[in-house]
Amino acid sequence: MIQLPDALAISLVVGAAAAFVLGEMALADAEDLRAIYWLAVGAVCVTAAVQMGRSGART
Amino acid sequence: MKSFQQSTSSGVEPALPAAPASLARRLYERVSSVGSAAQASVPGAYAWAATVAPAAWSRGSGALAKAAALLALVALAAGWAGERRWGGRFRPASLWGFVLASALTWSVAPMGLAPLRIDAAHGLAGMLGWALFALALAAPSLDGRSQSELVVDAEPLVPRRRLARGDAPYLVGAAAIAASMQLVGWRVAVAERALLVRFVALAAGLAVIDAASTIALARHARRVTRAPRIRLRAAMAAVVLLGILALTGLLFVLRG
Repeated sequence: MIQLPDALAISLVVGAAAAFVLGEMALADAEDLRAIYWLAVGAVCVTAAVQMGRSGART
Repeated sequence: MKSFQQSTSSGVEPALPAAPASLARRLYERVSSVGSAAQASVPGAYAWAATVAPAAWSRGSGALAKAAALLALVALAAGWAGERRWGGRFRPASLWGFVLASALTWSVAPMGLAPLRIDAAHGLAGMLGWALFALALAAPSLDGRSQSELVVDAEPLVPRRRLARGDAPYLVGAAAIAASMQLVGWRVAVAERALLVRFVALAAGLAVIDAASTIALARHARRVTRAPRIRLRAAMAAVVLLGILALTGLLFVLRG
């Protein structure tokens, strides 16, 4: 049974991928500040997704 | 197992039914009979044809670029022959000879790898070739000789446990996302920035695959019954940071 945090974690991974793509496009267009912003958003999304997905498992 | 027990209890070697060797089986046996350097030479030759040869024989490339490209090919072929004679000790020499000669080709023929002259399909083919070459060299070689002759192919082995279902969509989805990231940024004119975009795309793809596999594996661990609110609180720091970033982005948009 999938819980709300699991679904949210998957959504965050998809959001991270979108942010990474936007960051790459900004990097290719030589807009460095925008690239750093989107890459940072992607990295934080990945971190949040992993923390949320792991929190249901006993370590 | 039954055939093994019969042969050991009676002491008489029973005639095992000869399994019909399929074409794929014969091909596997033939490929596994050569060393790992020889197995890696196939994707290596593909990577050479996709990335090194076009650079060496592009317009304006000198004789040194062509000689270095040929040297790379010779190093690749020498790995095949050297491994048969000297074993795995010759593999690093072949690898470094191939990589350094390829790098020399790109150095003396810089226009051969200029991003404006490489289309996306060509670049992806080269990346795939080098990735397969690295994988074939790093992975253990196929070894068909280690299979025991007492194993009867007709009797399937009983699995110790069933693999958990549902992991494939996670990994396939993450791999598709990582692959789609490689389609961005192939029109960059400056070589350094083009390399940076490729590096960032590779790192981002690996991060997405790592996150997806971690979430997929966490489903199979022993679960603790926690309220969703408590689970959400575990990622509170990252969620707050995400909120701050969203607010910052909103402020930048409002300021124009």
